[in-house]
Amino acid sequence: MTNVEFSILLLAMALAAYGCRVAGFLAMRYVTITPRLEAALRATPLSVMAGIVAVAAMRGGPAEWIASVAVLILAKLTGQDVLAALFGVAVIALARWVGL
Amino acid sequence: MSEAVTFTRAGFGRGFRRGNAFALGVFAYGLAFGLVADQAGFTPFQAFLFSVVVYSGSAQMATLSVLAAGTSLTASILWSVVALILVINARYVLFGATLRPWLGQVSPLKAYSTLYILGDGNWLMSLSAYENGERDAGFVLGSGLGPCLAWLVGTLSGSMVGGYAPNPKVLGLDFMLIAFSAAMMVGMFRQKSDWGVIAVAVPAALGVAWLGSPAWAPVIAGIAGGAFAWLRFTEERAA
Repeated sequence: MTNVEFSILLLAMALAAYGCRVAGFLAMRYVTITPRLEAALRATPLSVMAGIVAVAAMRGGPAEWIASVAVLILAKLTGQDVLAALFGVAVIALARWVGL
Repeated sequence: MSEAVTFTRAGFGRGFRRGNAFALGVFAYGLAFGLVADQAGFTPFQAFLFSVVVYSGSAQMATLSVLAAGTSLTASILWSVVALILVINARYVLFGATLRPWLGQVSPLKAYSTLYILGDGNWLMSLSAYENGERDAGFVLGSGLGPCLAWLVGTLSGSMVGGYAPNPKVLGLDFMLIAFSAAMMVGMFRQKSDWGVIAVAVPAALGVAWLGSPAWAPVIAGIAGGAFAWLRFTEERAA
């Protein structure tokens, strides 16, 4: 790959990647944000998080299940999301280390 | 909706401190990407440029499956790289849309720079902060900066150190985003009716993943949950 080819590649990748980042934001400029639409936008991150966790649980095994449950419980008990998440990472590292 | 949105140094600082929680995991993935780029024959500077212009781990890894520094760039390879990035980063279209109520009220320069360094983690963290009353848009930029720098430094380090980087999976770092998703879900859960949103989003995500498109699973889950909240809205008002 020559330098010219690499530059073309970079430009194409930049346009595709940044295009995705701004497309939704730009499109929403022409939409009036009603309370109903805001309710939909607010439900979106919760849905994405639930989707991420569910897919990880489906594709993973006992280590992922135990760690996910540990995070949910600790987050519920302490209200500290960073603490709960880091604890979950430690739990999964340990679970994999013991062979789960 | 009517709350005033600000963009201050204090908000940026709050975001930066919170966002750093993601930095270690992102750094480990940057290392991994740097290593793979090195094996594909790209120089550290080229690998770094990949990370600067794309800044998406999953998309960059996928593009390396069709790219190698040694082969010449054909139109077919170029289009497949563009298509991969569009599909894997489709979630950012959704992320950008949900940030409109917030970033739409600050200057375009601030809004578009914030979008440039937006990542999955700081998007989730920002919307969870918004839900809890944060209205300073500096939070979004601040929480994105730490992970972004970690990604760039990780890429550069990985492509220079060769085979000495640790496997992120052994350290559990591949679980970081999932763990944060689970933890922040608990914090965003407001009312019983949120169970309905989850009950729609989870099967949507699992169905799409089962059909073989894990990259689309979060996107479809987000759209399904959002559509559900949209459709339900009038019922809540009538009740």
